[in-house]
Amino acid sequence: MAKRVKAIVKLQLPAGKANPAPPVGPALGQHGVAIMNFVKEYNERTSSMVGQVIPVVITVFEDRSFTFVTRTPPAADLLRRAAGIDKGAANPLKDKAGKITDAQLREIAELKLKDLNAVDVDGARKQIEGTARSMGIEIVG
Amino acid sequence: MVGGWIELVVQADNEAVEAVSEIFSRYGYGGGVAIDEPFDQESDGDNLRIATDRPFTVRTYIPDDEGAREKVEALERALWHLGQMRYVGPLSTTRREEEDWANAWKEHFYVHRVGARTVIRPPWREYERQNDDIVINLDPGMAFGTGLHPSTQLCLIALEERMRPGMRVLDVGVGSGVLTIAAARHGASSIDAVDVESVAVRATRDNVARNELTTPIRVSVGTVEATEEFAGRYDLVVANIIARIIIELARPLLAACAPGGRLITAGIIIDRADEVRAALDAAGLTAIEQHQMGDWVCIEGTKKYG
Repeated sequence: MAKRVKAIVKLQLPAGKANPAPPVGPALGQHGVAIMNFVKEYNERTSSMVGQVIPVVITVFEDRSFTFVTRTPPAADLLRRAAGIDKGAANPLKDKAGKITDAQLREIAELKLKDLNAVDVDGARKQIEGTARSMGIEIVG
Repeated sequence: MVGGWIELVVQADNEAVEAVSEIFSRYGYGGGVAIDEPFDQESDGDNLRIATDRPFTVRTYIPDDEGAREKVEALERALWHLGQMRYVGPLSTTRREEEDWANAWKEHFYVHRVGARTVIRPPWREYERQNDDIVINLDPGMAFGTGLHPSTQLCLIALEERMRPGMRVLDVGVGSGVLTIAAARHGASSIDAVDVESVAVRATRDNVARNELTTPIRVSVGTVEATEEFAGRYDLVVANIIARIIIELARPLLAACAPGGRLITAGIIIDRADEVRAALDAAGLTAIEQHQMGDWVCIEGTKKYG
């Protein structure tokens, strides 16, 4: 059908546990999207991944109908797991929260490539590297 | 006790989005982050792509309570550190009132009348049927066709004029099922409906059930093809899709029509109407008519005999 797009909204949400509270409510409510339909469907599709953050990209059409696709976990989540840390550094320029290897960085970049709006794996790598730096994660060897 | 919310918004370029999102998720309510992605599309929504050269808008929410100020300051500091490495726009904060988020969106959907006697009713609204109204109970959800779009309205009007009891109908690109339900209400003897998206097939099944129809309706994932399965079987074929697809499907759509049968096509942006007419004409459509609402047109006609 004539699907002229009104908005594309990406949400990072806990798998299986989305609810209409912010950010879902205000982010989708402003576009008049049937929020409960989204919440129910998202929780069903991600119920086997509870404990992870599963981003979802929602495309809202002119007539307020919508569609969505789930994505791979955020780079920050993958970086934390690779470095074996709980959170990033408060001051990443001064403090180091942990380290990952160059091979791990590449692995994450490859996994995230299709979700990052990056042209190629080097572009994806640059983005992941930036995220790692902003979290105080060093890249070694 | 939560007394509303603080919305935190920052703009960032494509390469900084992941990093900003990570910071927002540290402080945002439930770790939730929303990102508005910039995009480009053609005038009828075709060829959609993310515009990575324009800024993305990242937002999160924190409860407006006694700990809010501290969180905003911590978030500002973290963004400042990130700002030393790459460009991040200024942080803006706006107070938002608490709302009944689960139900507020329903305010956007009313009972609405299309054409002379078609009425679309969301399940949570009351409506008392009048005279010869055709009432369609429709839960506006994930599939296209809430009845608000001009192209859907043009199809509903065409169905009012063209449907006769006993017609065999094919609905290509069924979406929410709105046109299939309208055709059933107008007295179709049987309806086949197809859509390439499984979410549409599910939505149609739900909406058909909601309307307690007795018409035999077959809904399946797929499209119309110039095969024995479809050939010459239908008195009326409706395709509310998009110009490019209607051009591609012109021959199978006409092949599905019985001789003298009617084809109604919509979802066509005005700029591409001539191309669609030409394709339908070449495929054997005669007595072609065009109706317009806003930027959208519906092109219909009958299939040549013989």
